[in-house]
Amino acid sequence: MGMGEVILASRGLKKRYGDLWVLKGIDFEIERGQTKVIIGPSGSGKSTFLRIMGLLEPPTEGKIFFEGKDVYSSNLDLNMLRAKIGFVFQEPSLFRHLTALGNVKLGLRVVLKMKEEEARRRALEVLKAVKLEDWADHYPAQLSGGQQQRVGIARALAMNPDIILFDEPTASLDIELTWEVIDVMKELARRGVTMLVVTHELGFAKEVADEILFMDDGRIIESGPPEELLRNPKTQRAREFLSRLIGGA
Amino acid sequence: MFTFNDFLFLLQGVPNTLAISFLSFALGFGLGIPTAIVKQFPKYGLNYVADAYIKLMRGIPVLVFMLLFHFGMAGIVPLFKSAFLSATFALGFRSGAFQSQIFRGAMNSVGRNQMMAAVSLGMTRWQAFRHVILPQAFIVALPGLGSEIALLIKDSSYAFVLGVLELTKYSDIVRKATRSFFFPYLAAAIIYILITFPIANYLDRMGSRLKSRYGLR
Ligand SMILES: Nc1ncnc2c1ncn2[C@@H]1O[C@H](COP(=O)(O)OP(=O)(O)OP(=O)(O)O)[C@@H](O)[C@H]1O
Ligand SMILES: [Mg+2]
Repeated sequence: MGMGEVILASRGLKKRYGDLWVLKGIDFEIERGQTKVIIGPSGSGKSTFLRIMGLLEPPTEGKIFFEGKDVYSSNLDLNMLRAKIGFVFQEPSLFRHLTALGNVKLGLRVVLKMKEEEARRRALEVLKAVKLEDWADHYPAQLSGGQQQRVGIARALAMNPDIILFDEPTASLDIELTWEVIDVMKELARRGVTMLVVTHELGFAKEVADEILFMDDGRIIESGPPEELLRNPKTQRAREFLSRLIGGA
Repeated sequence: MFTFNDFLFLLQGVPNTLAISFLSFALGFGLGIPTAIVKQFPKYGLNYVADAYIKLMRGIPVLVFMLLFHFGMAGIVPLFKSAFLSATFALGFRSGAFQSQIFRGAMNSVGRNQMMAAVSLGMTRWQAFRHVILPQAFIVALPGLGSEIALLIKDSSYAFVLGVLELTKYSDIVRKATRSFFFPYLAAAIIYILITFPIANYLDRMGSRLKSRYGLR
């Protein structure tokens, strides 16, 4: 690994729902400018891990560090930290009563307290980056699934976050719509946006990921550069999973 | 004989009927939103106050409230010396409880992922509520609010008992003057329908239109 600044990290992270331990001890870190991809079977805890790293839920045990600071034991303002960690959800989560522009503007206005004019300029600029400047005045219900996800990306990006977390952003999309979203994400990776992405789009992983993490039953049981992990998985579980993924898709 | 002139005379009750209905609706709105919010964000035990309020309003007939206010409490609350205000407040208090339930249902229908998305941008739960949940809940609530207005217009007729000169009272006056027992009340019934139907219908249609535009369920 490089010498870059670690932006987000976890140490011994565990999460329990009722009697079920969903995360069983995860050590993780990501440096500025990196793209990391998480793969793993359904129910292995990928979404839970991402929500916890996005500070949307507290862990049961373990620590999370943002730029080296322990998030839950120092008196940091969690809301301000969340504003620095973008999140793109799997299911449609655009604000349905607002246009694409309104969706991107809301966080700028309410959280960053930008003036209307400035927020509007920034929002249009970001919508342009995801190639949706012509759709600014449309409501989510009038956009395709792929367009909605791109607005979701724009909404996160507009806040100028230090990192963006993506939870299977293309899982609910048709194949043709998957490309337009993946293309935008590749472009962000190339521009040096720090990204942690749960996805089974292996082409994306191969092209832009610095590292792939394989998650199984609440643990990261294998990790490595894409060529290595995809071609030569060390664990039996990862081998099985990848052969099913490539064979089945 | 019930004549066209009697019909016109009867119409003089309409302004008071409308005034009681809309003022009590506004009062109910002002009480209903905070009640719904307090139940959604339980704090300082205020949610128990809200619960008690809702149960009370559900269990006590609105006519009993009107009588209690006007004849029982005018000594303590000078406002209730006015029959008009007693009726309006009784209806408004009940409407507040009902409207809070309408808003609660509407808020819950907005969905957890909307709150999560807002929080992920760094909004406080209150900001998320104010800018994301509430505006959508309003739209979902429109048909329910339409039914509530219709209910208030109809129940404003109880004010007749306190002697308020509203539509039902006027129809009774005409009944006495004309000795016609059928047509004055029939005319009142028709006027009630002509008032309630377009209002409820309008809110219903506006609700459906906005819901489909915004893809809300
Ligand atoms: N809020 C919750 N309450 C209770 N159980 C939960 C909750 N969230 C997740 N779980 C459980 O935790 C386990 C891991 O779920 P999670 O969604 O993190 O898996 P995942 O790897 O993202 O799966 P998928 O690939 O299907 O999205 C599952 O058994 C799930 O039922
Ligand atoms: Mg998931």
